[in-house]
Amino acid sequence: MEPVVQFDNVNKSYGKHVAVDNLNLSIEAGKFVTLLGPSGCGKSTSLRMLGGFETPTSGRIMLSGKDVTRVPPNKRNVNIVFQDYALFPHMSIAKNIAFGLELKGFDNQRIHRRVSELLELVQLQDYAARLPAELSGGQRQRVALMRALAPDPDVLLLDEPLSALDAKLRQQMQIELKAIQEKTGKTFMFVTHDQEEALTMSDTIVVMNKGRIEQMGDPNTLYGRPGSVFVANFIGETNLLRSTVISSEGDVAALNWNGITITANPGGLAPRHGEHLYVVLRPEAIHCSAAEPVSGNRVKGKIRQRVFKGNHTSLMVEVGGGAMLNTLVHPSDVAQLGGEDIWLGWKPETTTVIPDRHAHN
Amino acid sequence: MVNSNTIAGDAAGRSASIPKYSTGIARIVNSAIYRHTLGAAVESPIGRVILLAGVPLIWLVMLHIGPIYQMLKISLLSHYPAQPGVESHFTFDNYAIFFRESLYFTPLIKSFIFATAATAATLVVVYPVAYYVAKIVKPEGRSKALLLLLVPFWAGELIRTFSVIMLLANRGAVNVLLREIGLIDRPIPMLYTSFSLGFGLVYLICLYMLLPLYSAIEKIPGQYLDAAADLGAGPFTRFRRIILPLSKDGIVSGCSLVFLTCIGVFATPMLLGGPNTVMFPETISGFFHGASDKWPVGAAFALIMLVTALIAAGIFMRLVGGKKGSAI
Amino acid sequence: MRNMVSDAPRTTLTAFYWAFILYLLLPLTLMMAMSFKDANFVAFPIGDWTLDWYAKVMQDKQFLEACLYSIMIAAASTLAATTLGTWIAMLIVADGIRGRTIIFALACLPAVVPGMISAISLRIFISTIDMPTGTAAIILGHTVHAVPFVVVMALTRLRSMPRNLVDAARDLGADGVVAFFRVTLPYLGPALFGGMIFCVLLSIDDFVRTFFLGGYRPTLPMLIFAKVQGGMSPEINAMATIVLVVTAAVGLYAEFITRRARTR
Repeated sequence: MEPVVQFDNVNKSYGKHVAVDNLNLSIEAGKFVTLLGPSGCGKSTSLRMLGGFETPTSGRIMLSGKDVTRVPPNKRNVNIVFQDYALFPHMSIAKNIAFGLELKGFDNQRIHRRVSELLELVQLQDYAARLPAELSGGQRQRVALMRALAPDPDVLLLDEPLSALDAKLRQQMQIELKAIQEKTGKTFMFVTHDQEEALTMSDTIVVMNKGRIEQMGDPNTLYGRPGSVFVANFIGETNLLRSTVISSEGDVAALNWNGITITANPGGLAPRHGEHLYVVLRPEAIHCSAAEPVSGNRVKGKIRQRVFKGNHTSLMVEVGGGAMLNTLVHPSDVAQLGGEDIWLGWKPETTTVIPDRHAHN
Repeated sequence: MVNSNTIAGDAAGRSASIPKYSTGIARIVNSAIYRHTLGAAVESPIGRVILLAGVPLIWLVMLHIGPIYQMLKISLLSHYPAQPGVESHFTFDNYAIFFRESLYFTPLIKSFIFATAATAATLVVVYPVAYYVAKIVKPEGRSKALLLLLVPFWAGELIRTFSVIMLLANRGAVNVLLREIGLIDRPIPMLYTSFSLGFGLVYLICLYMLLPLYSAIEKIPGQYLDAAADLGAGPFTRFRRIILPLSKDGIVSGCSLVFLTCIGVFATPMLLGGPNTVMFPETISGFFHGASDKWPVGAAFALIMLVTALIAAGIFMRLVGGKKGSAI
Repeated sequence: MRNMVSDAPRTTLTAFYWAFILYLLLPLTLMMAMSFKDANFVAFPIGDWTLDWYAKVMQDKQFLEACLYSIMIAAASTLAATTLGTWIAMLIVADGIRGRTIIFALACLPAVVPGMISAISLRIFISTIDMPTGTAAIILGHTVHAVPFVVVMALTRLRSMPRNLVDAARDLGADGVVAFFRVTLPYLGPALFGGMIFCVLLSIDDFVRTFFLGGYRPTLPMLIFAKVQGGMSPEINAMATIVLVVTAAVGLYAEFITRRARTR
């Protein structure tokens, strides 16, 4: 099937500053795609280029098979949910939602039906006549979403729409957004710097850094098999073990990390002796125990810091050579560890190996 | 089906009818007339620039600069408006006249002295009022306190000037009151003097001073004063060392505004002033309402006045050292 | 928090404020009082009170015509100034405009040029373009005078406008023109309304421009000026009182509207 959105070699620079650097991206219809990255990584610029508010310096943007690179925003079938919602303050909720429909030339009856249907989708039927100022943040968020959905866009763009909400409401809205996306079957293109938001809602995450795509994939892959140090650091908490290759054969590589020998699966890398590698070790993959584990990688360490976080306790453990490992323990298991000196173990298959040359961060 | 009924049912409490949407917009935007005119213009980058900048730039150049430019041009001509049989040529004579004749020189000096004095008087009178409203009145009462000060502003120049006559005339309120309590036997002639003109000018323009001062003083954080008081500064020291320097911007814009207004006041001197208070505007006006061939002289004089007034205001701003360009 | 140190200045300043209010309101009050005087000369004390002067003014054809004429000029110049001022403000805030500061300075120019000079330059200007003195010239002059105030008021409001609003309108299918009329203009509404009332008051109040640009038909200030120069009569007081009450009511109403809009 043809992708609904396609960026072909898209560049955008402001003077000397390169905001988007040779972006190639295609998005399948009906998917929830998230552009994830720190501020200034080019994700918002990409979104605004798709919306028609910025023109690429070079390259081509296709929407439903048509070249829209230079089409103004009012002539392309995409709609944006803005960060601050941008609801028209002088119009009622119903009028806000109807704005795009009025411009499409629908008759009164048809506009009314569509507005009612959308208001109902977010249970705001009783608020139709209110002004945006009379609504709560979450309600405004829903109205902005419905206003953008009303004209039935090919793609719905969401520019960090949850950042103005408090933590609790944000989680609730994440679930609601995903539900609405599934119910309507629309393609959502969501921009955020919040990795948790991205992991919760997305079918596909596109991690961006310095105007380029670092890695693209489903949340599981990105979390479990990060392709670069940047991605590993950006998504979730992680331990990065910079190691030297001792030997490598097929799926097993023996590595030297701080004088400790560990094994890992080098994937398709086939590293040579003496080469440097990063091993990505997630805190939850480490098993802590009082006794030495019988198999897998293991290392002895001393607990330097404990941070109680409710459903788990985070331990900072110093291992040989002054290196620290971040690990998680269930609160009830902390007591079983005995003293401060503990063993840490992990299975080689829970780790991922990243070549050092990707570490341009 | 069920859903749309429930919505209609919910709305029935207020009104059973469907809300009215602006369906006409699409009809306008999609009409051939619109698409070929405005619609086409906003689509193209050049059209957009013309649509946005065309009228404003034409207006600004034609009517904000144009008149001053024409005035400059005519001030350098020997004759205007053109008369049959007389050749008009380029000359600096109209400016020279001003410096040759003290008859013209004196009114300008007088205008400046008057405007300066009126500005200073207004500053002294209005400052405490602005301070009172901005700092002593509680925030919720401030708009009311300001509103009370704004009332005369709506009366307009002439009516305010006229009302001053009621106060100062020979049989006006002040003289009648003074006679009633036996302080004087004969009315003090106050009207048509420098005093009545000064009084009237201050009365006319005090609000131009009030608003800039008020907004400058209001911005001074109250903690500064508390901190200074805490360090042992008395009310006078606090005023001199903190409030006055921090309200400098307001003083500069207020004074410039008042000064420039005073210089250009035309009707008030004619109504309140006497033969000794002929101001420069009245002098200039003579060139336009007498024999019309004096226009170039009038234009030259108006320019002299404009330039000296702006220079004076500029020097003042520089001296006091407020932010540049904060006159308005 | 009151303390001993600040009490004395506080009392003095309060007294000063009220004295100032008295100074502002006393002449106007006296003027209004005089309009009820039952004698055909202006002098205190008032003695007998009457409403005759009002009856006379209301039948004065000259006065009524001058009122209508002033209102007509005010309406026309306000409409023109609001349109132009808003347009200029839109240009100043537009993206990618070079020389923003110069445009702004130009727009403010008529507000810093003393009224008398502005009037003369306009008189010369209309003569150079062969425009006769009279209604059109007055309207032009008043418009030039009012534009800077509209620009400043519109700019203040425009700068507080979330820029996404226009983007949102464009995103939903509005072109620049539709976005302006459906989103920007309603957003500017309260500020423009306040600005318009201000323009009306400026125009009705203006004497010096009208004096130089006008023809034989007197506007309100011209009529009052001529009457004052012709000699005092309580009739003038009655006229001035009517004008004052009406303009103050309009001003108060505008203040109320803009204040309500600001808190919204």
